[in-house]
Amino acid sequence: MRYIQRHSAFARGLHWIHTIACLSLFATGLILFIPSVAAAVGMATVQGARMVHRVMAVIFIVAPIAAIIISPKGFVHLWKSLFFKWDADDKEFMAKFFPYLFFGAKQHMPPQKINKSGQGVADGALIFLSIAISITGVIIWFPELFSAGIVRWSIMLHSGLMVLIGVFMLAHIYLGAGIFQPYRGSGKLMFGDGRVSESDALYHWGTWAKEELKKGDNVIAE
Amino acid sequence: MAETAILYDSSKCTACKGCQVACKQWNQLPSPLTNDEYTYTESFQAPLDLAPNTWLIINFREEDKEIGIDWNFMRNSCFHCTEAACEMACPVGAISHKDNGAVVIDQEKCIGCRYCVAACPFSVPRWDEAKNKTFKCWQCFDRTSAERQPSCVSTCPTGALEYGDRADMLGIARERVDQLKAAGYDKAEMYGEKELGGLHTIVVAQRGLEAHGLIRDPKIGITDFWQFLKPLGGLGIAATTAGLGFSYLMALGYKRGEYSYDEKTDTLNVKEVEK
Repeated sequence: MRYIQRHSAFARGLHWIHTIACLSLFATGLILFIPSVAAAVGMATVQGARMVHRVMAVIFIVAPIAAIIISPKGFVHLWKSLFFKWDADDKEFMAKFFPYLFFGAKQHMPPQKINKSGQGVADGALIFLSIAISITGVIIWFPELFSAGIVRWSIMLHSGLMVLIGVFMLAHIYLGAGIFQPYRGSGKLMFGDGRVSESDALYHWGTWAKEELKKGDNVIAE
Repeated sequence: MAETAILYDSSKCTACKGCQVACKQWNQLPSPLTNDEYTYTESFQAPLDLAPNTWLIINFREEDKEIGIDWNFMRNSCFHCTEAACEMACPVGAISHKDNGAVVIDQEKCIGCRYCVAACPFSVPRWDEAKNKTFKCWQCFDRTSAERQPSCVSTCPTGALEYGDRADMLGIARERVDQLKAAGYDKAEMYGEKELGGLHTIVVAQRGLEAHGLIRDPKIGITDFWQFLKPLGGLGIAATTAGLGFSYLMALGYKRGEYSYDEKTDTLNVKEVEK
C-alpha cells in the first residue's frame, strides 16, 4: 500500500488552530446575530461569548500571519496551488462539478493537479472572505477610530460575510471531511496524518498523484 | 397610551440650561467634579457634547450679525424616532419602543456593543467604557407613565419645552411657525412630523433647519438592511444545507473503484468495486 504525504504537520497544525477559531467565532457570533438566542442564553453568557469571540478573532488573524512569517515557502506553495491558470481539464472539471455533486457522482471527472479548479475557487474565496471579515471585525472592535458610516457598513458587511463564509464552510466541511460519499477518507488529510492513499490521490488529483508517484520524494510504502 | 411628544420651540428658548440640570438631577447623572474638563471654544455651550451621563444639552450656534448675535439654540437629545436606527441595529433587542413612542434602552439587556452608537443618524447614544453600556434620553418614561411631564419639560421657565399628545404638539408647532413667518422669520420650519417615520421630539426651528444644525431628511442608511440580511442569510444557509443533503442522498450507494498507478509503464489501473 502506497501513500503520498500531502500535508505537513505544520500545515495540519495551522488548519487545526484555524478550525477551532473559526467554529468558535461562528458559534459566538450567532449569539449576537439572532437576538432571540441572546435573550435565551442571558446577559452573562452573551458577554462571555463576546470575550471568547475576541480571543478567537485574535487567533484567527494572528495564526495565518505567523504561519506566513515562519514558513513563507509554505505560503507561496499554498498560493500557487490555489491560484493557477486553468487548462482544459480544469475548465472541464468545473463544468462537470455540480452534476457530479448532485447526481450521485456518476460523471467521469478529468484528472486534476495539486488542487482541483473548484478547490481553488472555494478555498481562495474563503481566504479573501476571511480577510474581509477580519478587517470589518477590527473596525467593529474599535469603532472610536473610524467614522460612524464606516462602522455602520462594517457591522452589516461583517454579518453578510459570516453568512457567505457559512455557505462556503458548509460545502468545505461536506467535501473536506468526507461526508460526501466519493470523498470518504478526506478528513484525515488535514485532521489526521496528512497522508493520502495512492488510490484516493489518483481519484481526486490524478495529474498531481502521478507526478508525486514518479518523483517518489513524498511517497510512503507500507 | 396615546403617542406623545416633546415640543421644543427654539424661538422661546433662552438657553438657561435648566433642562440640562433637571435631566441630570432626575436621572441621577453626575457632572464632572473638576473645572478643567472642557476646552474653551468661545461658545457659551456647555458641555460641548452629549455623554453617557449627559443625555440633554442645548447646542449653541452663535452667528455674528451686523448688530448682535443670532443664537440659534437647539435642544440636542434623543428624537425618539418611529423608525429608530438604534433599535434596528441592536443585536440583543435591548432597545425598544414604548407605547407612547419613547425609545428606551433596557440596561439589563445592553451589552455595550456600540452598534446603536454607529447607527444613530443624530449621534445620540453614548457608550460608557467603565460600565460597558450605552446611555441616552428615555424621555423620562418613569415620569410620563405616571402622568408627569419629562423632567426637562417640567423645569422650562419660558415654555420652550412642552409635552403632550403628539398630534397636539404638531398643531402647536405648526401654528408657531406661521406666527414666526408673519413676524419676519421667513425660514422658520417645523421638524419631526415625517422624518424617520415621525419623531417624538418636535422642533420649531426659528431660522430654518440648517441654522439650528438639524439634518434635513435624515436617513437610516445601511442599518435598515438587517431586515433583509437576516432572513436572506437564513435562507442561504438552509438552501445550502438542503442542497448538500440532497447530494448526500444521491451519492449514498456510490462505490468508487480502486486506483493504482504503474509509473514505469505510465499505466493507470482501475479495479472496479462490485456494486
